[in-house]
Order: sequence, then structure tokens, then C-alpha cells
Amino acid sequence: MAPPLLNRVSMIDPIFQSDTYQLARKLLDATALRQEAIASNIANVETPGYRRLDVAPNFATELRAQIAAGARPESLSTLQPSLTEDLRARSVRADGNSVELEKELIEMNRNTVDYEYLTDLVSRNIKQLRVAITGRNY
Amino acid sequence: MNLISGIDVSASALNAQKTRLDIVAQNIANAQTTRGADGRPYQRQVVSFERELIRRTGEDPISSGGAALQSVRVGSIQSDPTPGQRVYDPQHPDADSAGIVTMPNVNLAYEMVDLITATRAYEANLSVVKNARQMAMKALEIGK
Repeated sequence: MAPPLLNRVSMIDPIFQSDTYQLARKLLDATALRQEAIASNIANVETPGYRRLDVAPNFATELRAQIAAGARPESLSTLQPSLTEDLRARSVRADGNSVELEKELIEMNRNTVDYEYLTDLVSRNIKQLRVAITGRNY
Repeated sequence: MNLISGIDVSASALNAQKTRLDIVAQNIANAQTTRGADGRPYQRQVVSFERELIRRTGEDPISSGGAALQSVRVGSIQSDPTPGQRVYDPQHPDADSAGIVTMPNVNLAYEMVDLITATRAYEANLSVVKNARQMAMKALEIGK
């Protein structure tokens, strides 16, 4: 009887389950979600009473705690970033809106750089695997 | 999940800001219109925005404890009720028996400020779209 697929691919699994790779994947999710939050914030920069959104801060702390505790990648997969109202943002405007356009734009640019860095990291991981298989770099 | 994250939110904002630009254009164009369809001077129109929750199929962010993305739409376009300036101009065809004409309540300074704000907001949303696109392109390059 053929072994289940999961066991057969386990030979290359370690590469795809290295801490860096798993972490980069999780952070990519969070970065993509933050881009959506920023899009929402900038879209609503003039909507009265709008409160700015951000990725829930407990995602980062939980991820850090799980990595520190030596969590297996399988258990990490249940950890998903979610959006929440940014409770630290104070509104200084009469209409109760807590968005500051300049801050959002800076945050957006930082987020894009984060994303590029992370995709690069994932790419390098995959390239390493390819070099290991083919023995040459192309 | 969109390939380009947040594009629908930004698109709604671009639309809303464009409506606002249209209304500003209408106000400025009618700054001297003393007789509308109802025979009264033009009244300045004001746009107000409201948020709109984005719901996606197979995903309910509220029940999972998170906040939902909020797009923006034009909530209402209302007339500004402030009375227009009354000027003495007996030659004017719309002057009343005392020779006084009621002008539209359009203030060019307000309109110009509104115009600039709307343009800047439009630009900001456009730069979000550009960044999101750049991110999507990077995602497509993974492994290359």
C-alpha cells in the first residue's frame, strides 16, 4: 500500500517548514491584511466618526510567544491575523475621525517594503531548494 | 481574498471623491445662476460620505472577533440652506420690485478648498492602489 501523500512529501518538508519560511508566510498574511486596513483608512479619511483599523496587535505577540515556545508549524497554521479598531489612535478632529493621512501613507510605504522583503525571503528559500535539487543556480 | 489587497475599498473612495469633484464643479459653474428650474437662485450642494461595511463570501470578520473593512460611499448630496447674498442691481432680469437680486450662496473660497481636499484625497487613494499593485506583482515573483 502506498504511504499517504503527507508522508511521501516529508522529504522536502523540512525546507518548507523551517522557522524562517513559516514565519515569513504568516507575516505575509499579516502584511497583506494591513494593506487592506490602510486602504480602508485612507478611503475613509473624510468619513465622520470613522475609527482607524489595523491588524490586531495580539497577532504579533502571540506569534512571538509561539515561536519562542518552539511551536510546530502545524500549530502555527491556526493563528490568523485579524483586523481590529486601533484603540490607541486618538481623534483630534471635530468629526471624531481618527485617521491621519500622512501617518497612513508612511505606514503604507513601510508595509510595502515589509512585503517586498518577505516575498524576497520566501523566494530565496525556494531558490535554495532548487539549487539543492539541480545542483546549479539559474 | 483579492489579488490586489484592498482594491475594492480604494475604488469606492476614488468614486466618492470623484462625485465630490463633480459637485464642486457644479457649484462653481453655477456661482452666478440666479434662476434655476424652480425660478429660485442656485443653492450650493454639499456631499457627505458614509462608510459601508464590506462583506465577503465565506468570511464573516465580525463573528470571528475582528473588525470589518469599511469602504466609503456618498451618503447624501444636500443643499446648503444658508441664504444667498442680496445685491442691489435693478438692471438684472431677476431683480425683484425693489431692484434686489438674490445671488446663489456659493462661496468660491470654500469651493476651491473643497476642490483641493478632494484632489488630495483622490491622489492618496490612487497611491494606495499603486502600492497594492506593486505588492501583487512582488507576490507573483515569488520563486522566480
